Amino acid sequence: MLEGKLVNLRPLERDDLDREFQWVNDTDVTRYLGMRYPVSKAQEEQWLNSRPANDFGNTALAIETKDGVHIGNIGLHEGQPENRKASLGIMIGDKDYWSNGYGTDAIVTLLRFAFHEMNMNRVWLHVYAFNERAIACYKKCGFVIEGTLRENSYREGRYIDAITMGILRAEFESLHAKGESDA
Amino acid sequence: MLEGRLVRLRALEPGDLEACYRWMNDREVTHFLAMTYPMSYADEQGYIERVSSSDYTKGVSLAIETKDGSVHIGNISLENPHAEHRTAAFGIAIGEKDYWSNGYGTDAIVTFLSFGFQEMNLNRVSLHVFEFNERAQACYKKCGFQVEGRLRENYYAEGRYWDVIVMGILRDEFDALHSKTG
Repeated sequence: MLEGKLVNLRPLERDDLDREFQWVNDTDVTRYLGMRYPVSKAQEEQWLNSRPANDFGNTALAIETKDGVHIGNIGLHEGQPENRKASLGIMIGDKDYWSNGYGTDAIVTLLRFAFHEMNMNRVWLHVYAFNERAIACYKKCGFVIEGTLRENSYREGRYIDAITMGILRAEFESLHAKGESDA
Repeated sequence: MLEGRLVRLRALEPGDLEACYRWMNDREVTHFLAMTYPMSYADEQGYIERVSSSDYTKGVSLAIETKDGSVHIGNISLENPHAEHRTAAFGIAIGEKDYWSNGYGTDAIVTFLSFGFQEMNLNRVSLHVFEFNERAQACYKKCGFQVEGRLRENYYAEGRYWDVIVMGILRDEFDALHSKTG
């Protein structure tokens, strides 16, 4: 388990299914994600049950408040050992916990793990241009805007741009002191 | 394909089976390798199939070929790479005995280490070598490996125990010895 200030990141378990199923079918949640089709319970169960163990290539964790409420998931994907980089994805599925610093704390906690334990050099992400709340959060964590992928996705009847953001290990170190348990 | 001065390193092909099988059943060759049992043709074939495609997770095993005459003289490998620790275990066999002690192994090793550090982004490469294999130890030292330890009586062959020497090289050490652009 990875300890943050407000949240812990723990492995996903099979009995997380009901919450996962609810979140990935909530369009308030999925409109910000790369998901558009309704997901069956069987499909979600299969995803949860057949996930390989977390490793350098792919790590997915549950975000839990210090009170033990599972509020969303976070992960590092497409890990490339030679390039020492991975993409970050996060979903706060429980809307009551939006905009309260939980996501920021989860991201900083996972970035620390990525840089200090997995030995990554770069973490990157794509975010829809209209998702200003998320972009502000990523910036707070230290991500830098690196570009705009024009009309990269089609959602809700129109093409939308994706913002590509990244953070390097050296940048993370200078923002978040090495041993400290965080800002 | 990786180009050295004397050798090139290329992927293993099914057609390499005959030579590999011959080497792995030549006691003068396997004397220096951690191979106790004779290896069947089918086992060797399975091995070549398994290692003929390389990636970081599976490791990298390549054929060593002379640039002069394209003779396949041995194999070289980086095994068990760890993504987090950026370490891997090194191994080499020159199966064609006519090519021993002529700098081919050294050139293959330096070429391969350069790939390991510059392309695979490793930080450390280590190896085990038998105490009685002094020729290999001299070669590894020439390449920049340092002796890091001695595993006492770690190997049994020919009726007795032998010590195993642990050697390692770090990326900084390699870069200092061998110019970065190669």
